Amino acid sequence: MERETDILNKISAKFEVEGKIQRKQRIWIKVDKENLIDLCKFVKEIGFGHLSAISVTDWVKDGKYEVIYHLWSYKDKILITLKTRIDRDNQNINSVVPIWGENAQIHEREIHEMFGVKFEGNDDLSPLFLEDWQGPPPFRKDFDWGKYVREKYYNKKNERENIYFEEV
Amino acid sequence: MEMESISENEYELFFGPAHPGSGNFAVRLKVDGERILSARSDPGYLHRGFEKLMEYRLPIQNAVLSDRICVLEPLNWNLIHAEAVDELMGIDTPERAKYIKVIMAELSRIQSHIIWYGVISMGTGFNTGFKIAFGYRDYILDLFEMITGGRVYPAGYICPGGVRRDLPEGAKEKILKVLEKMEEMLEFEKLENPFHLDRMENVGILKLKDAIRLGATGPILRASGMKTDVRKDEPYEVYDKLDFEVPVRKEGDAYARYWIGLEEIQQSINIVKQALNNLPDGDFIAKEFKKPKLAIKIPEGEVYVRNEVARGEAGIYMASDGGTKPYRVKIRGPSFLHMIPVLEHLLKGAEIADVPAIYWSLNVCPADLDR
Repeated sequence: MERETDILNKISAKFEVEGKIQRKQRIWIKVDKENLIDLCKFVKEIGFGHLSAISVTDWVKDGKYEVIYHLWSYKDKILITLKTRIDRDNQNINSVVPIWGENAQIHEREIHEMFGVKFEGNDDLSPLFLEDWQGPPPFRKDFDWGKYVREKYYNKKNERENIYFEEV
Repeated sequence: MEMESISENEYELFFGPAHPGSGNFAVRLKVDGERILSARSDPGYLHRGFEKLMEYRLPIQNAVLSDRICVLEPLNWNLIHAEAVDELMGIDTPERAKYIKVIMAELSRIQSHIIWYGVISMGTGFNTGFKIAFGYRDYILDLFEMITGGRVYPAGYICPGGVRRDLPEGAKEKILKVLEKMEEMLEFEKLENPFHLDRMENVGILKLKDAIRLGATGPILRASGMKTDVRKDEPYEVYDKLDFEVPVRKEGDAYARYWIGLEEIQQSINIVKQALNNLPDGDFIAKEFKKPKLAIKIPEGEVYVRNEVARGEAGIYMASDGGTKPYRVKIRGPSFLHMIPVLEHLLKGAEIADVPAIYWSLNVCPADLDR
């Protein structure tokens, strides 16, 4: 666990973050939106060159999106996770494309499609999986798939389709 | 989708989605004569929204759902899903279950790599290889049927807490017999074949620096000269007790990737043999899950689990808010990066005739890309 503590100390010496060591090879760090890019640059410099994934959790009760970056260091063999919260109504965040390149680009493109988060500085956020999608971003917590499909594709008055409208 | 109007020599070409060799996936190629100017991946034909579907289901249901993340290696995805739930719930699975999981995951890796060999052969015009590969793969499917009950989809055989059923009687002997067959297949694969050499040598070269930047993992990264394997870097289950090597090549071309696949089959055979010899007695599922309970509360928390599947690094991020269903699941499939940034990078500047060789040398699976 020494290497984990070392890395966490290095980071907290430079940035105001809330960090914890979850277990061997796992560090979790909470950071403000403003410090995110500087912190990303710093961790890339100390060896976290592989961006394993970017994901978003929709904490709808708090009115926040949590953007999560999973980074792996081939040198230290440690996975660090950076988490930052942004407002659901003001869903802009700086892109990490200048730091991790095409890898980050494609992750951000997916998240933009599924959650509607806008990454400033990412010039290609065109639809990836969904074609001709008109509805709201589908992975949001307040988006109800069943309801959307019922309203859009089924007719309650149709005898063969009204079964979809029955309460289960 | 509209085709752009282009000059006399330039035109646009679709590789897939109806191409016999592309799977449910398309690449739009902008071509000048025979040379590809740029490529743009067009995924989404298999998008089923697993991440969202899992938020509505209990872990025991998600175990079955996790089969479908990749058609070609369902057991590996079963394993990583079960690991995520186990870690979140703090369950320690019995030693025997860990060994059975490793055996099943490695058998799954072997059959996936055999398919890889088969589709590469088909893409390079060696159709016999394709047919032989699918014939030999069936021996492993027979094993899966005997052990899990399903030939391709194990229906959540590896579930939270361990495995659904113990190995049936005589399983060890049968697995060893099938491994003999696999070694036979491997001997055939290792014959130097002009089809493979001509079509793949010095084609689609991926430099190490680019590979890391584009997010390549697993056999693709190892073929470019990086010695890394999640099973070694971050041993899960019982991989730290097993002795195996990580094959690495420096060339980074399609032939190197193909060759890494062959060497990994040999390593997986060794792993299964060792695991069978060391298989301990005992329970095959943790006592919390012995009697199937539907709704178990998942403690609040979050985990990120990484595994080495046949295609590269797989990851599952799972968060729980204390309910019976996961609050958020993020699935990281290796093909997501192999089929979009890596493929686009390699196709740029290549010739049309090299597309199948490059495409299949990346060991792609549109299912784990789209999820």
